[in-house]
Amino acid sequence: MWLKRLKNAAYPDFLLGDWVVLVASLVVVLLLFKILWSHQQANRLEVRQGSKILGVYDLNQARSLSVAGPLGVSEIVIQHGKARFKHSPCANQYCVHQGWLKTVGQVAICLPNHISLELLGEKKPYDSLNY
Amino acid sequence: MRGLILFFFGLLLMSCSRVEPIYHMQSFVFGTMVDISIYGESEEDAQAISNDIIRQFQDLHNRLHAWRPSEITVLNHAFRSGKVPVRIAPDIADIIADATELSIKSKGAFNPAIGALINEWGFQQDEFKPVKVNQQRIAQLVKANPQMVDIVVDDGKVFSTNPSVQLDLGGYAKGYALDQALLILRKQGVSNALINIGGNIIALGKHGDQPWRVGIQHPRKPNAIATLDLPSGWAIGTSGDYQRYFELKGVRYCHIINPATGYPVQGVQSVTVLIPPQPNAGVLSDVTSKPIFIAQPEARASVARQIGIQDYLVIENDNRILASASMAQRLTWLDKQAQQHVVEAP
Amino acid sequence: MTHSITSIATNPQDHKIARLTALAIGMHVLEAIFPSPLPGVKPGIANIVTLFVLMEFDFATAAWVSLLRVFASSLLLGQFLTPTFILSLSGAVASLIVLRFAQHLPRKYFSVITLSILAAFGHIAGQLLVVRIWLIPQAGVAYLIPVFALAALFFGCVNGLVVARVIQNRQHG
Repeated sequence: MWLKRLKNAAYPDFLLGDWVVLVASLVVVLLLFKILWSHQQANRLEVRQGSKILGVYDLNQARSLSVAGPLGVSEIVIQHGKARFKHSPCANQYCVHQGWLKTVGQVAICLPNHISLELLGEKKPYDSLNY
Repeated sequence: MRGLILFFFGLLLMSCSRVEPIYHMQSFVFGTMVDISIYGESEEDAQAISNDIIRQFQDLHNRLHAWRPSEITVLNHAFRSGKVPVRIAPDIADIIADATELSIKSKGAFNPAIGALINEWGFQQDEFKPVKVNQQRIAQLVKANPQMVDIVVDDGKVFSTNPSVQLDLGGYAKGYALDQALLILRKQGVSNALINIGGNIIALGKHGDQPWRVGIQHPRKPNAIATLDLPSGWAIGTSGDYQRYFELKGVRYCHIINPATGYPVQGVQSVTVLIPPQPNAGVLSDVTSKPIFIAQPEARASVARQIGIQDYLVIENDNRILASASMAQRLTWLDKQAQQHVVEAP
Repeated sequence: MTHSITSIATNPQDHKIARLTALAIGMHVLEAIFPSPLPGVKPGIANIVTLFVLMEFDFATAAWVSLLRVFASSLLLGQFLTPTFILSLSGAVASLIVLRFAQHLPRKYFSVITLSILAAFGHIAGQLLVVRIWLIPQAGVAYLIPVFALAALFFGCVNGLVVARVIQNRQHG
């Protein structure tokens, strides 16, 4: 039996139960990857101004960013895995009203000030957003 | 022991995603955000083609602009001052002819001739503010009845039989640009791309071995309500009361104005339409959501049928969601709460 | 003035345990000094000693060695009562709880490798639990769990193999 041969040749220390535990653990770990990584867990924030990417920031590091656009400076905050526009020089303030972004693929755009925020993660649930 | 280490290393590598040949670029044109994804081309090629597309968009935007000096504002000026024929570019003549046909088909619900009304509501501005309209003036503008059929195109020249006609192609230009972009991409030999102009999207080819997938924005929350696969050549468009609006005394006034009443449409949050492959799929994705948006709730299904739309999704003000049978089949819901309010269209 | 020397009666086994604890402390400190390539991922070689003691002596002794090691090392490293110490302690306690039950698995089918893997999972679970409910409750650590779990499985396997070999050598040599 190939399993027995493998067992005796390479890993004489592994008993039958050990193999069972090892395989079961592997399944658990792979399931963990599947559940927690394919989920819309965001971990980074991409900030764009005009057609440039200004930076990609870790969502777990609290910080505030000041981004200059054609109208003035917009303020963006990152806190506890979330991000949002805090202040904007635009008139309609849609970007600020968008509130906190939490999951992968969420987008907040300030059209007047040409700034966009997008949450990135391991797997994006869609390629582009229809709005 | 070495086998064990190799095994785990392999597992780690497998769980890291490999780098995809996808190029992504973003720009601000048409007063909105343009988002281009190209799959399977070298970065230099993808960048050159994207830049070319953006340049063409910018050019189109400048030519069709409804309030900054453009070929359209020249036309509008001529319309106002009488029946003096103005020479226009052949592609603009085609656009006017096509828009006229679509306006007739929608029984005037799609009407790009109501520029004066849109201006009266303050939406012909880069940064609009709450406006208190003059009701009499609105009534006058509606009564003047500007229609696309009032425009006469003859031998490369154009004039209007009705001086109240003021073109505003805001509900047409983005879709037209999508169709143009697809032509450019095909001419350049690109076989996989996704173009998004302010939410209106057209797909070409696939994203690797998967179809392109788009998220549909929740009209009141900052997240996607559902996703769907956009096969090659298909286009999707949404009219919403959340993209351009202002609030006055707690009432929301959106940029979509009912030509019949002269007032912004209320009672509906968004209408999304899906257009199968055809030469003007982009235009249709931009234009056809408006008549459904403007229609009374009970008339939406019949209006959709009348303008030939099979796949549509309507989110009403009371959070009820109306989905056509074929659309419901395509959607994968992300917002489970919203999913419970879905009603299948008759 | 009289000097008084308190002398506690010890037997050879006590000395052996003391030596093993010292070894565990040494391993713990060594691991603390060398930076890990992946933050938060450590091989946990001090657990080799805990498992060895569990196999050669009994659970109570293993628990003593493990907890003594955590306290003594943190004192040596000046981390006593710091978050590092708390994480270390919570990991040790959680893996001991797991071992407390796992030790009864039939030895005919389950070797120390199984115990090591289960202890490693217990270790990381205890630490993540403390991080989640106490240290940084709002942090989005969920996406790190699979990485930690994979590391725990790998190092659990390796450490278990090491213990198995050490015991084998003792018996044969």
